[in-house]
This record gives sequence, structure tokens and C-alpha cells, in this order.
Amino acid sequence: MAETILKLEQVTKVYPNGTVANRDINMEFEKGEIHSIVGENGAGKSTLMKMIFGIEAPSSGTITYKGQETHFSSSMDAIKAGIGMVHQHFMLIPSFSIVDNIILGDEPKKGIFINKKEATKKTQELSDKYGFELDVTALVSTLSVAKRQKVEILKTLYRDAELIILDEPTSVLTPQETEQLFVQLRSFKEQGHTILFISHKLEEVKKISDRISVIRNGISKGTYRNDELTMEQLTSLIIGRDLDNDMDKYKTHENFENKKALVVDDLYMEMNGKPVLNHVSFAVKKGEILGVAGVEGNGQGDLVNCITGLEKTKYTGTITINGTEASSLSIKQRRDLKMAYIPEDRMGDGTAGKLPITDNIISTYYEREDINHKLFMNHPAIDLVSDNLIRTFAVKTDSNKTTVGSLSGGNIQKVVVAREYNTKPEFMIAEQPTHGIDIGSAEFVHHKLIELRNAGAGILLVSADLNEVIDLADRLIVMFDGEIAGYFPDANHIDESSLGMYMLGAKKQTAEEIGGALND
Amino acid sequence: MTKKEKKLNLSITNPRVFDAVKLLCALLIALVITFLVLCLISKNPVKAFFTILTGPLSKRRYFGAVIESFIPYAFAGLAAGILFKSGAFNLGAEGIYIISGVSVAAVACSSITTSGFLHPILCVLAAAVTGGVLMIIPSFLKAKFGTNEMVVSLMLNSIYLGISMYLIRTFLLTKTTSTIGSKDYLPTAKIKYLYEPLRISPAFILLIIVTIVLYLVMFKTKLGYQMRLAGANPKFAEYSGISAFKLAIITAAMAGVLAGTGSAIQLLTQSSFYQPDKTATGIGFSGMLLAMLGRNNPIGIVVASFLIKYLEQGASVLYFSDTSVPSEIVAIVEGIIILLISSQYFLRGFREKMLLKEGLKKDAK
Repeated sequence: MAETILKLEQVTKVYPNGTVANRDINMEFEKGEIHSIVGENGAGKSTLMKMIFGIEAPSSGTITYKGQETHFSSSMDAIKAGIGMVHQHFMLIPSFSIVDNIILGDEPKKGIFINKKEATKKTQELSDKYGFELDVTALVSTLSVAKRQKVEILKTLYRDAELIILDEPTSVLTPQETEQLFVQLRSFKEQGHTILFISHKLEEVKKISDRISVIRNGISKGTYRNDELTMEQLTSLIIGRDLDNDMDKYKTHENFENKKALVVDDLYMEMNGKPVLNHVSFAVKKGEILGVAGVEGNGQGDLVNCITGLEKTKYTGTITINGTEASSLSIKQRRDLKMAYIPEDRMGDGTAGKLPITDNIISTYYEREDINHKLFMNHPAIDLVSDNLIRTFAVKTDSNKTTVGSLSGGNIQKVVVAREYNTKPEFMIAEQPTHGIDIGSAEFVHHKLIELRNAGAGILLVSADLNEVIDLADRLIVMFDGEIAGYFPDANHIDESSLGMYMLGAKKQTAEEIGGALND
Repeated sequence: MTKKEKKLNLSITNPRVFDAVKLLCALLIALVITFLVLCLISKNPVKAFFTILTGPLSKRRYFGAVIESFIPYAFAGLAAGILFKSGAFNLGAEGIYIISGVSVAAVACSSITTSGFLHPILCVLAAAVTGGVLMIIPSFLKAKFGTNEMVVSLMLNSIYLGISMYLIRTFLLTKTTSTIGSKDYLPTAKIKYLYEPLRISPAFILLIIVTIVLYLVMFKTKLGYQMRLAGANPKFAEYSGISAFKLAIITAAMAGVLAGTGSAIQLLTQSSFYQPDKTATGIGFSGMLLAMLGRNNPIGIVVASFLIKYLEQGASVLYFSDTSVPSEIVAIVEGIIILLISSQYFLRGFREKMLLKEGLKKDAK
């Protein structure tokens, strides 16, 4: 029997807004295992990790680490005890070198000065020992996302972490990079580290884990050895039912006469003297979903901002929405052209967390006649519209006056999608529409997008989640470094690993091949 | 557990009820501390305490003074409330109170009309227009050039005082006083009382109308909706297609009109001539505190203004009988209430406990 390193007993967490994030969680983690924690987003994985890492305190229950009951008051205590965490969003300073980032907060001293020489030596040795292949004097800003992640992991090792928590580590990686990470994780395990792997990508979980713990609705659904579970069993444990993955069968193929919902022609934009969008041209037809794949930060965000009108920087090229040249129009004017937009950052751009659902769910059509009745807004009508949408989109809430900020991620996204859907768009931009939400909600959002597509809307789907793009899109483009690196006229027949080559910039199609994105 | 108890439990976790409970607790604590302070400085603290609380009711003219003096403060509070509600931190009301006075003095000292009905209206209009136009400047600069409206508005406050001094000295200076002040207003310009013993004037009625209109605008109209959206999350408002520029200009103009109106009322009811450096003396800034106390809700702001002025009057009454207590004691009450209300942590632990209970109960079902 292996030694237990971490034990959770009856751990419960209630947030100030009343949400019970975790309830009576019991879990044991053994030394030297790779232990995955899976569950839908909003199931309480992140909260659990925050409690282990000392960011949040449990409302009740005990956490025992190495046989001692712990009460970490901050993550500093957890780090001192030997727990490291690699967050989904990296906590690095780009203008610092790798060494500087790693020693930050724990600098080796020589008198009152930092002993940079020793720090560099120690860090480099550590990097070599674990086969990271990093030059530790390089600036973080020059590194790829995958290498930055390595720096984050190295940071935890530098602080002698025995238990390393990885929060959705593969969400920013290409398939090849994920493979590499897994090799590394296995080597950590051999050296006696315990890995806590959090993910919602089940294939990866199956591939890497020794044991798997499932959380559903904040409640532990048990810990299983990887080999005693099939993929199907795992899925139904997570969502409480079977999942329907094949989106293709829901698509209908009506003829919309090749009409274009969006034409982007020769879009070019610079930022700080560097082109972030380099002569991008493509079109979205009515009744199709055009997928945009790519590692985050390769121009997709700028592209979306140019199309929606949120970008104020000057760019050249034309953007035509539903037949009208729109590149000089305001956001409102573009929305009036029947454009809808599901933004990536639902809390920052997509909702006002402090306001109730009613206010949030009408924000893009509050001037509609039934809602804004002459002098005053028609509150009974707003309630009616809200209640209908809450019901149709299965938003989990007690009342339409609940503030959006107190809903779970998936339910907030449903509010956003419901609102955009309700504008009856003919062109929709869906930017990471299911990023960080639970499987059930994601499935729901996918169905709604297909529904819109079948009704004749053109949808531009931008996502870093490859499975999502491949499952939903009719045609697909891959962006790398502000350019379209590849165009795939049939998204149903794509090999994921060859897509990865385009995403990493290892391969690029000819101008002629890429031209199909605009002209097909 | 009985049904009634359950309902009470639920209501405390409701943010609105919680805010009200928090306000009451803050008021109670402030009064207790005031009483303790009175114990230290007054020979008869119990009597002093009750004089503060009931003094304004002891004579009609005391109560009348409350009614007259709270109106300009309420207008300043409304001006700040409308700006804060839409997420603008324009602190220019103070300067507007000062410079609108120039317009008031210019109209009040000229004989453009002999009607005692029309003359004050013209004065108020002139001040409102001045305020509306000048309040836009910081918001315009922010929307167009990204300047910090707080800094710009604060600097403008001083600039407006300087300009007002210059204008009065150059065009309207009275020859009889040594300080910088305008000539006396013509008698027709004064705002007349409708009911003199309680000093109820048309200004009081105007305030009530304005409050109701503002309440409707904020909570029932499209404009109010846009303001709430921009105030809660400006990026979300922009994303939804609301023009931040237009909204910033409209709300600033509205706030300026309110501040200008308040200034005119202050001058025409409480002075017979205009002195730039004696006009505002913090009314604009008090407005911000009132907006905070009233949670940016017009009705809340007016009630808060009345309460604060009532307590101040109570302290003044006390001063007549017991000079050992300075009337500034009310500042303690004000300060403590604002401190407690704006504190995120005050009563939070209590609320979290209630939520925990409720959440677990709901979960157990």
C-alpha cells in the first residue's frame, strides 16, 4: 500500500454568494501517482484545488497533508509545505528572463544582493535534470506557450514541490506538445513526485492517469483505478448520462445560394510595428460554420475585434457583413446588420456580473419595440422574454433577478448565447463559445449553433479547442502568426496531427490553396 | 422551524434587504458612538443626545431651516449619483456650484424682467445651462482623449473658482464690501416662500419633481438602462453597441444641470448677493457622500440629504443650550456611517454564515 500524501475529509466550501462549490468531499492521494480530477466545469474542481493550494479556506472539513492537518492561510504556506501549482493562465513576467521568473519571491542571496550566478546555475541544472531543454537566461517573452508552461513547472520544482497541481495544462497546447508534456509528467512520477492533473479532456485523462477522481455538482463521485473504467463509464460518471458527440447528424443541408454572411478581404493590421493580421482573406457563407483553429494568440482575437468593431486601431482591407461594407461602421451599426457575437471573455465583455439576468439578457436588443415601449421600458415584457429564454436555454437559477455574477460559468455562457441567439442573427461570431464550461452546457451551446446554421446563419467559430472546431465546422482555416496557414474545405476529414503542424507553423499551404477560404 | 422564521432567513440573504440591514446597523453604531462622545464632553449627555435627535422638531423655524438647507445638498447628491451610476468619476460638482453662481448673479442683478415669478426661473435656467455645458468638459476629454476625468474635474474646480472671481471683480463687483462679491440681487429675483413658517418654496416642489423624474429615468427608461450597463461594466456596454461617448456626454450634462440648479437655489434662498469663495464650500463634495449613502438611488439620496441636514440642525439647536458640544459632532455620525456602509467587510461574516446555512439547507433537499 502506497503512502498517502494528501487526504481530504468532509471538505465543504460555500462561497459568499451562496453557491455550494464542494460538499463533503473525501479523497486520498498517494505518493508518486498521477491522479486526475475530472468533472464538468462548475463541478467544483477549481475550488477544490484552490483549497488544497491555500488560496481558499474550506468552510468545513479537514485537509491532511503528509499526516498533518493543515490550515494554509495563503498559497505561500502551501508552497513552503511542498505543494506547487501550475495555473491555467500563466503567472509569468514576460520582460524577465526565465531565471528571474523562477527565483522571484525566493531569491538566493549574497549579502543584500541576489546571487544571480548561483540562481542561474541551479535553475539550469534543474532544467537539464528533468530534460526541459530550456536556456534559462532567455526572456520569457521570446518563448512559445508550451515553453512558458515548462517554466511554470520548473518554478514549482525549484521550490521543491512534491505535489504538483496542473490546472487544465493541455488547453493551450497542440497535440504534439501535449505528448511531450505527458512524457515529462511520467518522468516526474518516477522521481517520486505526485501529480494532480485537472482536465476536462477525457482522452488525455485516460492516457496519463493512474487513478481518476470524479466530481459532479460539487460532490465526489468516487476514485477509480484508470484500468477499471472505460471511456463511456467515465463520461456517464461525469455528466450523469451518456453524451452525444456526433454533431454532423444534426446538420441539414439546404441551399442558401452561396450567399455570403461575411467577407473579409485583405485585412492587414499592425501593432507596435509588427503585423498582427497579415493580409487575411476569407468568407463565411450563409448556412455554414467556418472554423478558425490555431494556438491562442496567433491573431484570432484581433481578427474578431476587427469584425465586431471593438478594435479601434486602424487597419486596411474590407469587412463585408451580410452584403454591406462595414469596416467604418460602429458596433451598433454592425449589430443592426444582423451580426451577433459570443465573446471569449464572458465576464469582461459578455455580461455585467453585478446586474440581474434580466438586464444582461436584453442588452443587445433593448431598443426593440416590445421592450422599449415609447417613453419607458416595458418591464413585464422584459420579464417575459427573460423567463422564456431562461426556460429554453435551461439556465439554472431561482429567479430572473439573480445577478449574473453569482451563476456558474456554464449558466453565464447560456445567458450570453441566449441573448445573442434571440437577436435572430444572420451572421454570428462564436469566440471560444464553450471555453471553461461544463460538458452539458457545451453540448447545449453546440446544438444552438447548429440550429442557427441550419436556419441559414453564417457562423464564424473561433476556438482553441480542436475537437470543437473539427466537430462543428463545415470548412476550416488555421491561423498562425497573423496569417492563414492552412485551409481545409472539408472539416470532416481532417487528421488532427497534420492540423497541429499548421498550428505550430511547421507547415504552410500555398497562396492558391489558401485562396479557397475566400473563393469556394 | 416555523414558516415566518424561514422567510426572515431568506430575506437577510437577499442583497437588497441586507443593504438595508447594513444601513440600519451603521446608523445605530454611529449613534451609539456619538452618545459615547457626548458622555465625554457634555455635562448632561442624555439630554444632549435627545436634543440632537429631536431638536429640529422643537420649533417650526428649526424644521424650516432643515427644509431650506437640505435642498441644495440634495441636488448635489443627485448630480453625483447620476454620474456614479453610469460609472463616471467626474468630481466637478463643486466647481459647477461656484461658477453657476456667476450666471445666477448676472441674471439676478439685471432688470431683464420685472416679474417676481419669471425672474427666479430665469436665474435657475441660466445656472442650469452653465452647469450643463461646463460639466461636460471632463467627460468629453475622457471619452475623446482618454484623460483621467477625476484629475481634470478636480483641477477645473479650482479653475472655475478663479474664473468666477475674475468675472465678478470685472463686471459685477459691488462697491461697498471689501471682499469679492457681486451687487445685491434685485428683490424680484428672490425665491418666494409658498408657506413661510416651514420655509417651503417652489424649490422644494422642484426637488420632489426632479427626484421622481430621475428615478423614472434611471430605472424605467432606455437611458437609465444604458447608464446602469455602463456603470456596471463599461466594456459590456460597448460590446452591446451602446456608444460610450454619447452616454458620457448626456449623463455629464444632466449632472451639470442638476448642480447648476442646486447652486441657483442655494444662492437665491440663502444669500442676497454672490461671493464666489463662499458659495460652494464643499456642497459638491458632500454630494458625493450623499450619493454613496443613498446608493446612487435618487430617492435614497434625497432621504440621506434630509437626514444629514436634520442631524446638523439638531446639533446647532444643541449648541444654543449647551455650548460645550460643538455642532461639528454631526460629522462623527456622517463619517462613521459612510465608513461602515462603504466597507465591504462590515457584516460580511454574518451574511456568509446565513448563506452557508441556507445553501446547505437547499442542498440537503
